[in-house]
Amino acid sequence: MPAFAYHRPASLDEALDLLSRFGEDAKILAGGQSLLPLMALRLSHPANLVDISRVPGLNEIVEDVEGGLAIGATVTHTRAEEAEAVHRLTPLVAAALPLVGHRAIRNRGTVVGSLAHADPAAELPAVALALGARFIAVKSGGQRRVAAADFFSGFLTTDLAPDELLLAVGFPPQKPRTGVSVKEISRRSGDFAIVGLAATVSLDEAGLIASSALSFFGAASTAVRVTEAEEALAGQSPGPEAFEEAARIVSQSLDPPEDANGTTAYRKHVAGVLTRNALADAIDQIGFAA
Amino acid sequence: MNSPSATATQSAMGSLHSPIDGTATIELEVNGVGVTRRVNARLSLADFLRERLDLTGTHLGCEHGVCGACTVVLNDEAVRSCLILAVQADGSRITTIEGLAETDHDGQIISIHPIQRAMQEAHGFQCAFCAPGFLMTALCFLERNPAPTRAQIREEISGNLCRCTGYQSIIAGVETAVEIMAADRREGAQDA
Amino acid sequence: MREAVAGRYIGQRVRRVEDQRLLTGRGSFVADVEPEGTVHAAFVRSPFANANIVSIDHSVASRAKGVVAIYTGAEICLLTNPFIPFSNLPGQFTPPFWALAVDRVRFVGDPVAVVLAYSRALAEDAAELVEIEYQELTPVVSIDDALRTDSEPIWPAAGSNILYEAADQFGEVDEAFRKADRVFTETFTSHRLSNQPLETRGCVAEVDPESDEVVFHAATQAGHALRWTLAAVTARQSAVKSIRALAGNRGRLKAFARGAKAALAGTGDQLKKADSSGTIHQIRKDPRTLLYLGRSFLGTLSAERFPRVVAKDIGGGFGSKGPVSREDAVILAVAMELNRSVKWIEDRVENLTDGGQARDERLTISFAVQDDGTILGMKANLVMNQGAYPGVPFNCGLFSRIMKVMLPGTYRIDAFRLDTTVVASNKGRYIPYRGPWANETWARERMLDVVARELGMSATQLRLKNMYHPSELPAKMITGPTLDPTMTAATTLQRAIELAEPAAFAAKQEDARSRGRLLGIGFATYHEAAPGPPDYTDAVTPGVGALLAEKSEISLEADGTVTIRTQQMPHGQSHETTYAQVAADQLGVPMEQVRLVWGDTKNTPFGIMGTGGSRGGPIGGGAVQFSSRALRTKILDQAADLLEANVNDLEIVDGNIHVRGVPAKGKSFAEVAAAAASAGGGIGDEPAITAEFTYNGPPQGGWACATHVCWVEIDPDTGFVTIPRYLVVEDCGEMINPAIVEGQVRGGVAQGIGAVLYEKTNYDEFGNLQSSTYMDYLMPTAMEIPEIELHHLETPSEVEANYRGVGEGGAIGAPPALTNAIENALAHLGVRITEQHLPPHRILELTGVIKPNVASR
Repeated sequence: MPAFAYHRPASLDEALDLLSRFGEDAKILAGGQSLLPLMALRLSHPANLVDISRVPGLNEIVEDVEGGLAIGATVTHTRAEEAEAVHRLTPLVAAALPLVGHRAIRNRGTVVGSLAHADPAAELPAVALALGARFIAVKSGGQRRVAAADFFSGFLTTDLAPDELLLAVGFPPQKPRTGVSVKEISRRSGDFAIVGLAATVSLDEAGLIASSALSFFGAASTAVRVTEAEEALAGQSPGPEAFEEAARIVSQSLDPPEDANGTTAYRKHVAGVLTRNALADAIDQIGFAA
Repeated sequence: MNSPSATATQSAMGSLHSPIDGTATIELEVNGVGVTRRVNARLSLADFLRERLDLTGTHLGCEHGVCGACTVVLNDEAVRSCLILAVQADGSRITTIEGLAETDHDGQIISIHPIQRAMQEAHGFQCAFCAPGFLMTALCFLERNPAPTRAQIREEISGNLCRCTGYQSIIAGVETAVEIMAADRREGAQDA
Repeated sequence: MREAVAGRYIGQRVRRVEDQRLLTGRGSFVADVEPEGTVHAAFVRSPFANANIVSIDHSVASRAKGVVAIYTGAEICLLTNPFIPFSNLPGQFTPPFWALAVDRVRFVGDPVAVVLAYSRALAEDAAELVEIEYQELTPVVSIDDALRTDSEPIWPAAGSNILYEAADQFGEVDEAFRKADRVFTETFTSHRLSNQPLETRGCVAEVDPESDEVVFHAATQAGHALRWTLAAVTARQSAVKSIRALAGNRGRLKAFARGAKAALAGTGDQLKKADSSGTIHQIRKDPRTLLYLGRSFLGTLSAERFPRVVAKDIGGGFGSKGPVSREDAVILAVAMELNRSVKWIEDRVENLTDGGQARDERLTISFAVQDDGTILGMKANLVMNQGAYPGVPFNCGLFSRIMKVMLPGTYRIDAFRLDTTVVASNKGRYIPYRGPWANETWARERMLDVVARELGMSATQLRLKNMYHPSELPAKMITGPTLDPTMTAATTLQRAIELAEPAAFAAKQEDARSRGRLLGIGFATYHEAAPGPPDYTDAVTPGVGALLAEKSEISLEADGTVTIRTQQMPHGQSHETTYAQVAADQLGVPMEQVRLVWGDTKNTPFGIMGTGGSRGGPIGGGAVQFSSRALRTKILDQAADLLEANVNDLEIVDGNIHVRGVPAKGKSFAEVAAAAASAGGGIGDEPAITAEFTYNGPPQGGWACATHVCWVEIDPDTGFVTIPRYLVVEDCGEMINPAIVEGQVRGGVAQGIGAVLYEKTNYDEFGNLQSSTYMDYLMPTAMEIPEIELHHLETPSEVEANYRGVGEGGAIGAPPALTNAIENALAHLGVRITEQHLPPHRILELTGVIKPNVASR
């Protein structure tokens, strides 16, 4: 591992001071499960690591009055996975968490860290995009909110400035008559997905599709929603015909990259398969709930 | 390497800083014993255990967080010790494979842990380079879930790679451990 | 005759002795060794597959914090001899090469320089600062690249990238093909794999600056071979100096002569069969070979320092720790030069890049058959991609010869021709991997399914029709070896058919297809020379058998315990347990009284093979059995004196030696040892009685056989293959410890499944390695490997020590069974499987769901 200076601030102000002092020369260390492998392989050479694990107030899962949920910067995947509120208020997040790596990784890795790392094949960025999550970024003397749609700007890059810290991610309340599903295929259990889908479907009172989110991972340089397919679903009766059409649009509109785990053609095809399966799964859940 | 300019400063507020390639002092509990050491910031917990504490039972298979050979227990959770800096483990409680069996003051084994006994009975391992990681993973898992299904065992140990066995014997070993530990609990309950 | 001594341990699922330390974190692996004052090594490696080294500038790196020294190829040329071929086949060229790249790099990862520093991290820091200018050359990556006549030779002395060509013919091949009703031909391609033990390579050269002793701590499967190879490579001095040194030390020369005589005792007849024309061919192609040979030989005889190799616990090998690594030679050479201890523990990226790779072969097979399925003849064309540097001591040449012998399998094939080509390429080095000849089984068993389908027969019917049944044995394979009646491949197949009920499965498969589900079943049957009869090794390479004999030394210690010394290098095979079982049964003592000594070349008998080739049970175990019996005889003789009884009236029960029926008047092993020691004038810590036995396998038989059956279900939407059931019927003769046998078989099957569905050492067209981390080289986890049902036959034999090897078979049987099952599941779609690696996207390409992308394969 390359050498670096290590900083473990004891307060948020101290952390933000360090970030503003070092700017691009610093990396934030929370769980370290994405950053430390890169450093161990000497693919990342940060001069400073700012370990935020002891900053008070960040290790919290907070329900808001409208029924939304905020997850703080140092909450681990395991803690979120075991939190009752996550299952109750954000079932899509709860469905995605067990798919993140393996237990030992989830015990250290953080939800917010995974979002800030923005791996296009990771589950949580796609979940955040599907749910329209809001990101709370903070720096010395300022705080701002960024919509998920604006947050993921490219391969392993986000809208965060070097001196900003991602304080928390907020998930809005789930709409009534909503079903969710996360489907992915990966070469082995626990691997990053070859391609995956975080989906939500909401029905109107008449039982027709009111809105949906089809948010893919492993299908582009960032997590990506296929809005044409979402639009095509709107107003449709939920069933094989509508799902098939959505799947067709998905396969047509995605242009995923190619690697040893899957060709472009394969990823396009499987994205369609996942669309069908996830939509059916999500609708089933609504039936269950009703 | 230990020149004064390259040592850590610790503020009154509990923050900790080490300059580039410098050192910091950490305090932690390893296998029930408190230790204080000055460590280089880039030293991984795995290297700290192996090189500084001579606890070489923790093995390094990939050093990038995939194989699970270096798994240890940190505050009751299984973690990859190659993906944690020693400085991050400051203040924590660590258990390694050396701490699994009951030992006397000289480190001689008095009695092995039921998971160790079970793995021996089930012929769980072959070269056993990966064994410490599997045992620590199983230890945490069975604490949380003392009566798992075979599918749950498969899922839970799937973060640890073994190249020798094809896993069947390791799964059998975890199942044997479940039986032994359940019997021990029943016995304990009767004694009490 | 089966062993007359009552077996108490053999055949039992005895718990492993090794586990007492390995499960408690008290093992000792090479990474755990760190002598006082050790410096740490990091290698600077080539980022290019094929390039000239224009310049190396390490001035900045040398001044970096903590750096002790940096060596490049230029220095290594002065400190070492190149690696030269250990054995060469007629017509083969094996390029001599240096431990570090000199002037040219030949694959991504080729070591160019070594940095030594006070810690590994500091060495790695400095390695990043070494500046190297390269001039890129056109890379030669695939077999087709290498075979192109205009491809630039990677080794100029070879004249082309073809290093070995051979044509072998047995029987009347042309006639068989003329007479046949049908001829079927198909080409099968296997990808590159990597052995991937969980412990990487590594070594510590421990140098005592005050003495001449150099201890080389290693993770090695073959300590003695490593020792002598390293001695030859690091003994760099002029021939004149060597001769002067020898003249001044005749005692040493005599000692060498004695050692050589002992090592080769009784092998003269076999050695005479050896063909030396390969070495002469080599010297003609590259006359420097003669210089290097002479210098290495004289240097080895006269060098001041001669390494002692020590290995304790080893974290797996699967063939990869048998070959000698260039890095080993570098570390030893620089440690002796610096006169201080040097440690190198390979990281995983290095291991995936330069830790050895395997398979990467292409086999075209033709069968000449009658309409009724009778096989008349077989032709095969084999091309092996050896990569950049040849393996040491064994390279593709030897493994191609094993394939030559084994290709006809257990079938009555009276006419066979094989054309062999070995090529060089800009990939990592080809090394043996668990059944280094395994692709002969894969391609043949795959092809038999193809033939059966074409003829409208069932795959099992075609096999049974052509397979030797035990009642027809003994018979000779057309390639030479004798099959005796314990070669029970057909019996394993028959038993597998009973268990698997393929006919019932076919109905289930039909029904599933009608509902859109894809189910398949695949069979594969093989026999393996484990160790095989004497005419097997002669058929592979005449004379090679001479090198394979194995000595077991055994002693009764003064305290009454028993010590076995072996040249085997256990690295997961549980020798401490099984050898103690064998010896305890022979001697009539509790297992706990028997201790195994291995791993230190100073106190173990010489042997080239170490642990490999599925020989630990049959050869090593056999040697222990016979040496134990020799010791038993000596102990009884001694006891007879003490008890004043006739030796024929004595028996041993639980370590008590007494006249049959009179246990009260017995003597313990300790008492016998004490008597023997005082009679011999011993002082108490020397062994009281010793015995030894050199064993080179049974006079006949020695075949391990198995049939694998694999069931698959394939998701037609995603191409994912799952394995709902997998069974193996195997016959390895008598099992010393069934639990250990089962672990070996299951582990092998898991690797075979990994090969087909997950693992691939993946080079792009420029020779860049795309699978250099565990994120990219996909070893199966517990979620991917199914439960594997095992059924043992344990066919008895007239031959004593009826143990046959099981280390490799699992990995040999799984790829054909699995790929046959996949084709069976997709047969109605017209799919033919001709490649071994089948990731999900490839399955959907084959089923026509998506368009193929040739570049991605």
